[in-house]
This record gives sequence, C-alpha cells and structure tokens, in this order.
Amino acid sequence: MDPTNLQTVGLLIDILAAAILVTAFLVVSSRSLVFYIRLFALQSFFLGAVALLVVLGYGETHILIAAVLTIAIKAIAIPVVLSRVIERIHVRKEVDFSINIPASLLLCGGMVILADSVAHSILGAQRADAPAVSRVLSVSIAMMLIGLFIMTTRKKAITQIVGLLTMENGVFLSGLSITYGMPLIVEVGIFFDILVAVLILGVFIFRINKTFESISIDSLRGLRE
Amino acid sequence: MSAILFALLLGLPVTGTLLCAVFHTRRVLETITVICAGLTFLSALWLVTTVTQSGALNPGQGWLYADGLSAYVAAIVTGSALVVALYSTGYLRRQVRRRHVDGGQLWLYYLLLNAFLFTMMVVLLSNNLGVLWIGSEATTLATAFLVAFYERESSIEAAWKYVIICSVGIALALFGIILTYFSALHVVPASGNALNWSSLMLVAGGLDPGVLKLAFIFVLVGFGTKAGLAPMHTWKPDAYGEAPAPISALMAAGLVNVALYSLIRFYILVNKAVGGSFAPTLFIIFGLVSMGVAVPFILIQRDFKRLLAYSSVEHVGIIVFALGLGTPLAYFGALLHLLNNAIAKTLLFLTASNVRMAYNSKIMRKVTGAIKVIPVSATFLIAGVFAITGWPPFGVFVSEFAIVSAGFAGGNVVPTVFFIGFIAAIFAGFIYYTSRMVFGEPHPGIKGGDADTLSLLLLGLLLTALLVLGVFVPPPLQQCIETALTVLKG
Repeated sequence: MDPTNLQTVGLLIDILAAAILVTAFLVVSSRSLVFYIRLFALQSFFLGAVALLVVLGYGETHILIAAVLTIAIKAIAIPVVLSRVIERIHVRKEVDFSINIPASLLLCGGMVILADSVAHSILGAQRADAPAVSRVLSVSIAMMLIGLFIMTTRKKAITQIVGLLTMENGVFLSGLSITYGMPLIVEVGIFFDILVAVLILGVFIFRINKTFESISIDSLRGLRE
Repeated sequence: MSAILFALLLGLPVTGTLLCAVFHTRRVLETITVICAGLTFLSALWLVTTVTQSGALNPGQGWLYADGLSAYVAAIVTGSALVVALYSTGYLRRQVRRRHVDGGQLWLYYLLLNAFLFTMMVVLLSNNLGVLWIGSEATTLATAFLVAFYERESSIEAAWKYVIICSVGIALALFGIILTYFSALHVVPASGNALNWSSLMLVAGGLDPGVLKLAFIFVLVGFGTKAGLAPMHTWKPDAYGEAPAPISALMAAGLVNVALYSLIRFYILVNKAVGGSFAPTLFIIFGLVSMGVAVPFILIQRDFKRLLAYSSVEHVGIIVFALGLGTPLAYFGALLHLLNNAIAKTLLFLTASNVRMAYNSKIMRKVTGAIKVIPVSATFLIAGVFAITGWPPFGVFVSEFAIVSAGFAGGNVVPTVFFIGFIAAIFAGFIYYTSRMVFGEPHPGIKGGDADTLSLLLLGLLLTALLVLGVFVPPPLQQCIETALTVLKG
C-alpha cells in the first residue's frame, strides 16, 4: 500500500478509536439498560472496523477472522442475547449508580489522562516512529479502566457484564495496536471463551431474577463474614 | 512417544466429557468419570517418569509442551481429580437418596467434572501463553455451574461473584500476556512463535525489561485472582463455601495449583529477563499479605468450609512467599508444599462433607461431639487440622520447615518472623474451632451416620500419604521435584 493510502488508513483508525472512546463515555453517562447494550454493540462494531483497517493497511490477513468474529459475536450475537435477557426478566430498565453521572464522567476523564501516560511509558522510544495503530494503545488502556469503573459503580447485573465486555474490548484493542493481534487460534479461543462467559452470566441473571426478584447486585449481599 | 502422552492427557478427559454428554444413567456416568480420571492420572505419572528421564517434551515450536514443572503439577492435579471422582460417586448417591439432587443435576455434575479436568490439562500442557490463558478462563467457565450446583440464593450469588471477579482478573492477565508478546515481537524470529514458552525462554535476555515488568504486574494480579491471592481472594470463601464439597476440594487442590503454575511460568521468565529482586519482592509481599489477611477471617469464622477457603488463601500465600525467597531450598519447599497442601485440602474438604452430612449443617457452632457421632471422620478431621496447620509428623510441617529455614538462611529474617507469626495465629484459630466440633457432647436429635466405606478408605489413604511425607520424601518424588526445580531455576 502506498504512503498516502496508509496515511488515510491511519487517520481512519484514529477517528474510529476516538469514536470507541466516545461510546465508552456515553455508556458511563447513560441511565438506560437498553442504551448500555446498544452502545456496546456500536463500540464493538467500531472495534471490528479498526481490525479490518489493520488488515487493509498493514497486510495482517490473519486478523481478518478476528475482525469478522468481533462484528459477528460482540456487535451482533452478544447484544442480541443481552437484549433477550432484559426483555424476558421484566425489570425496571434503569441503571442504579453509586457515583452520579457528572462525577463519573470527570473520573473517567482522569482515567484517560492516566491511560495516556501509561501508554507513553510502554511504547517508550518506539512511539515517535510508530505506526498509527500503536497510538490507539492509550484508548485501549482507558477502555480497560472505564470498564472496571462501570463494573464497580453501576449496580445492575447487566451493567457488570457490559463493564466486563468493555474491558475485554480494551484488551482486544491493545492487542491490535501493539502486536497487530494475537496468533489466530488464540484469538478464536478468546472469542469462544467470552461468548460462553456471557451465556453463563445470562443464565445466572435469570436465576438471580427468579430467586431475588431483582437483578440488582445489591441483593447479592448474603455471603458475608 | 510424546505425541501419545499428550493425546492421552488431553484426550482422556475430552472422551470422558463427550461420553458423559451421551449417557444419563448414574452407574455409567460414575464408571466413565472414574475410569477417565484414573487413566489420566496414570498418564500423568507416565509423563513424570518420561520427563525425569529424558527432559522436556516437544521443546520445539509445537503447541504442546511439558517439562518437569508441568508434569509434577499435572500429577498432583490428576491425582486429586481421581480421589474427587471416587468420592463423588458415594457423595452423589447420598445426595440423590436425600433428594437434594435430581438426575439432570447428576448428569451435569459428571459432565462438568470431566470438562474441568480437561481445561486444567490444557493450561498445564500448552506451550503458547495465549492458549494457557484460554485454558485458564475455561476453568472458570467449567466450574461456574458447579459452584451454583445447589441453586440456593447463596450459591447463585457465589457463582456470580466467582465468574465476574475471575473474568476481570483474567482479562487483566490477558493484557499482561499481550505486553509480553509485544516485548518479544522484535526479538523472536518467527512472530507466530513469539508467544511460545519455549521460544520466549531462549530469547529472555533480549526482551524489553520495562515492558516485561509492567506485563508481570498485570499477570500477577490476573493469575493471582485465579489462585486466590489477597486482596483478589474475595470470591474464594463464597465459591468454596457454596460448591459441593468434592468440587471445593478439586478447586483447592487442583485449580489453585494450576493458577500457581501459570504464575510460576511468568515468574521464571521475568526473573530470567529482568533479574534482580523485582518479581521476588512482589511475591514476598503478596505472599505475606495473603497469609495476614487470612488470619482475622479464620479467627472469627462460623462456617467450616469458609474456614478452609481462608486456609487456602493462607497456603497460596505460603507458596508464593517461598517462591519469592528464591533459594533452591525455598523452591524445594514451595514445590513440596504444592503437593502437601493439595493432599491436606482434599482430606479436609471431603471430611467436612462427611461432617455436614451427619449434622446437616456446616456452621461450626451446630457441630459438637463429632467423635461420638461419626468417630472415623472426626478422627480424620482432627488429624487433618493438625496436618494443615503444620504440625509434625505430617508433610506440611516438612515443607513449611524448609521454607522457614530458607527464609532465615537467605537473610529475610523479618518477613520470615511474620510468616511464623501468621502460621501460629492460624493454628490457634483452627484448633479452637475444631476441638469444639470434635469433642464435647453432641446436640440431641443428631442422627449421624458416616460416609460409605470407600470414601472413608480414600480419606485414610490421604492421611497416610501426609504421614509418609512427614517422615521422608520418597526417592521418586524427590527426583520429580528436583526435575521441576531445574525448570524453576530457569
């Protein structure tokens, strides 16, 4: 691929990375479970697009399958499963917070700055001449932190799953950015594990709903010393 | 030869899983599970002898790899799996008779037990660190429904926390693995092999030390969560407390060692690449914190299985601490402790299950005078407690003594004094609670009734093993540990 096209690909990757970060912030500022799931689907779609651009721009064909799997599993299958779950259990589809939205956004902004400095230290001297995708590392670390933040401060069982998946998206993006993805069989295995994990957690949500009559993790307080 | 061994070790548990998926009769499920676990154990012993005699298997660029360390841990894991499979037959028959478990649950139990063993073998035999990660996450998934097995509110809560916390941990570990991959991309010639343990060890000196240090922190937190190191241990008392006792036993004796194995692999790599005291210091700190955190929870505990879970946190701490000391004697103690802890934990969790059957409770206050109600199990209980708290003539004493000697000899006096203090406090807590359980007068209305003869024989066998290990380390085991030791030295 000639340099001008490569520059275009780099630019597109930058834009998509920014869009991914925006979806994570929108999740943090959202009140509705339905939005959580839709935003996650959108985020995974952008992620799949980044992977496709890595295939196009850097000739890493083994990522093609990972890109297709990202879109098929994370942008379509998992959101469909999660939507079914919340339809079937008839809960109040609003998120409960332990930290309110403005404070959450401020904290997540801080996390992005932190993530950027960590990314600097990882890339070190290689950063100056690094290809566009490695700049995405800061976004991926920020996603891991924001995912963890969602899991700890939002109280619905579904929001914990979305937080976990946001983290996983961050990890996947980091793999894309600094190593052009893992070997194929590893990627496929990871996708399989994630899909099974979501299915198992979905089954548990049904059972939590049945036995606790709510899917708030506040009711998960029986086991204590 | 090596192909046959790998095929057996991975193929037998897969066959077990598939056969269990097809059959639904209790007797058939029992037979399949016991035979597969037994044959896997024999194959693991074969692996141990092969590796001791002729070195690491498949040290080239294949997906599979086995050396002294993986063989040793595989033998411990499959051995506990066999004991657990045998005990499960009697356990589940009793539960079916009491109508605690129906046919569908029985089927699921055996199916997942086989799958669980398979996922652990994947971790132990993979050359590729990414595949090792996949296996680790799969162990969590295979055990999720086993933790939630009784479908009580509390067991679903425990299973939820277990899957969520372990998945977060393991996601962080994946980032650590990606960073390791990144540090190797420029130095490993064929990039497809850059995640292979065998190629990473060859080029360890050329890996970027800064990136690798960061990678190690993520890996330590990630696999530390799986192993139950404090402060990432919070899922452990819930999961061990709620899972059926044989499953808790296999998690404490098998899964813990598998997670520690993954941690040890990265520890070896980082020590070789970075050197110095970076990783050892982290291990000593996390080890001591885990032991210290366990102390108050053991002293105030009401539930016997949760008590054992905190003891597991303590013993993971002991092993990690010993690895951090870094001398050959400490390594020897750590490796021996993997085995001693596995045997003692299996003994105690299975005994706890006998006590629970007799008293219909795992709350320690409600259990008194066990020596009159179930004399055999009560004897195992008190002996097991003395064993796990590190008293002679049991094996745990030998490995802990080696670790303490190594601590003083290596000049780590203050940490070692803390180590001894924590062990003493935990001993006090254990003896206080169990002596009340074993002695005194039983509450009126306890019907009692001990487990079947096979189960009691199994427990007797475990206790005998602990006694033997307390007197001397048999030469074949000595050889096996020494082969694992050469791997640890890098």
